Amino acid sequence: MKAFRILAFGLLCAAFAGSARAQNPAVAAAEQRLAPYRKLPEFVAAGPAFDARHCMEGKSILGIPVSSANPFTKNIYIAMAAVAKKVGFKFTEWENQGQPSQWVQGMNYAINNKYNLIDLLGGTDPKVLAPQVKAATGAGIKVIASHYSGFEQPAPPGVSGVVPIDYFRAGQLLADWAIAKTGGKANALVIVSMEVNSTASMLNGIKEEFDKLCPDTCKYKVINAPVPEWSTKIQPNVQSALLADPSINYIIPIYDSMSQFVVPAVTITGKQDKVKIATFNGTPFVLGLVQQGKVEMDIGENLDWIGHAIADAEMRILCGLPEVKDPKIPFYIFDRTNADAAGHPPQLSTGYGNAYIEGYRKLWQLAD
Amino acid sequence: MRSVSKPVPMRPTRASEPLRGALVEWAERLGLFIAWAATIAMFGLITPETFFTWANFSTILGSQAVLVVLTLGLLVPLTAGDYDLSMASVLTLSSMIIAVLNVNHQIPIGIAVGVALAVGLLTGFLNGFFILYFRIHSLIVTLGIGTFLHGITLWISDSMTISGISAALVNAVIVWRFLGVPLEFYYAMAVCIAIWYVFSYTAMGRRVLFVGRGREVARLSGIHVDRVRWGALITSGFLSSLAGVLYAGTTGAADPSSGLTYLLPAFAAAFLGSTSIEPGRFNPWGATVAVYFLVTGITGLSILGVRTFVQDLFYGGALVVAVALSQIVRGREERPQ
Repeated sequence: MKAFRILAFGLLCAAFAGSARAQNPAVAAAEQRLAPYRKLPEFVAAGPAFDARHCMEGKSILGIPVSSANPFTKNIYIAMAAVAKKVGFKFTEWENQGQPSQWVQGMNYAINNKYNLIDLLGGTDPKVLAPQVKAATGAGIKVIASHYSGFEQPAPPGVSGVVPIDYFRAGQLLADWAIAKTGGKANALVIVSMEVNSTASMLNGIKEEFDKLCPDTCKYKVINAPVPEWSTKIQPNVQSALLADPSINYIIPIYDSMSQFVVPAVTITGKQDKVKIATFNGTPFVLGLVQQGKVEMDIGENLDWIGHAIADAEMRILCGLPEVKDPKIPFYIFDRTNADAAGHPPQLSTGYGNAYIEGYRKLWQLAD
Repeated sequence: MRSVSKPVPMRPTRASEPLRGALVEWAERLGLFIAWAATIAMFGLITPETFFTWANFSTILGSQAVLVVLTLGLLVPLTAGDYDLSMASVLTLSSMIIAVLNVNHQIPIGIAVGVALAVGLLTGFLNGFFILYFRIHSLIVTLGIGTFLHGITLWISDSMTISGISAALVNAVIVWRFLGVPLEFYYAMAVCIAIWYVFSYTAMGRRVLFVGRGREVARLSGIHVDRVRWGALITSGFLSSLAGVLYAGTTGAADPSSGLTYLLPAFAAAFLGSTSIEPGRFNPWGATVAVYFLVTGITGLSILGVRTFVQDLFYGGALVVAVALSQIVRGREERPQ
């Protein structure tokens, strides 16, 4: 009988706590924002259909990734090369190891070989290529910075256009997750790399969401770790922050590859049960950490989808169609409930469904 | 090869007056310890409730084993008069080999670790071969081999980070603890004691020192100089790969580039350590204390919540100031080249 009473009391408490959480407007708002991103993404066209094969005939694009030794950009360009083959235009990746001098060579190569468009992908910084960008646009070549800036960020000076990503929304979703999971009492440690162009947009999203939804009950602290120093800065700084403030309950490394150095910091300080990690990008090894329970959530982007979306936006520019303001690249939230769909071990562009493949085929009016 | 430049530690001088000389010597020997204690005291006074906790000290001690082992490995060729710039690349390759074999090919973790350590030994052997057989400066050979190894790392990993390394390694490195401190700290201490013992109490250690101080003199004294240098480079290759094993165990993953950032901190700790304990020599205890002195300062600054660029100011500033003070103590002696 005593056991029954304890059980009944426990259930009552749980129900009360659940109802309190549901009634919390911050939690409700956060969960509402998260809900669409917990379903498999659907294809949404970024503009009206067009005959891609016809208008891209004889056209060429040269892509300069921030580094070819980077699986993120590498796989986007694999997708773009496949699109080029399918549609029938020339696509060349300028292989480089992340050195601006190599980017300059790529720009000059494109100008000398009269490419129609130069794609600067994922951080190839137009600001350090100002003379080359000017020379290229002067020669009638479109220069596009893709996956570089957020919707609200201005285009870098000199370029013909951008293919933006909704980094601001990604930041909001990270904050929403922490708010929803803590009942509106998040104490987050946000790790950023301020030198990366998209960071400002994501950080603004995080700050705005915390400040708007739970200004009195949530708090956050921001740590900056430049990319080359992730391995030496993140772990000691996270450890110190966790020791200095034992009430921290979420760590938000805004780029998920940072997690590699956050997880050992949480383990060494013995906070695995109390401190959760939410992050962004959907890099396969981090999805593996989600499967293992070391990272709670990762907002993923399908690189193959991104490749299609960038190709779509750039083909529209070359075909004289209106510029795409939103390339409709979806985010998808992975947590323990769906991370297995990414494969064992997780693979790139896996687990997002394939609605986009048929969608783009129809959009570009390609035959079956 | 008389003109080959060699790494020169901070050399001591002897003051003319016996008492002053003894004081100066002790001040120099313990300078780094005093600076470390002062750092602990300062941050402890500012944030006693956080800094003066066992959790904090166990975190400081338990999270720097990779750098300590790498620095200790670096000391050996430095003492013998050679540079090894390939160490961070060996560390990175070693951790990646473990990840590729264990995660992608499901090879037991023990075998993967064995292969990684063997690659470290092989790298040291190759470094020695090119340096000694072709008489090329160690700086050039190890730079080239290190870059070559980085290419191999990118190749075998397909430029990807690989997670999911066996929990057995992770447990043995950072999860299991003794006195609240992760085991990796004790592994690093074991390496430190071993090197200290060899350098201080064995003929082999003395030979390494003689070779580093003067190759011609050592040769004329009957020491097999090339053999000693080769052994030093093989040792640094092995210890670099051991640091890679600890790195893989710390993060539970391996990525193709982050380990490279350990090279300069290892050099900084080695040179900072040479100003203390046994001034004028690259020595294991000095280097180990140097690592913990620097990390204590950085941890204190982090706890205070200062912006991270201040940590770079501390790191670089502490190195230059410590070496400069060491020079003042010994009367601004001109260092022999």
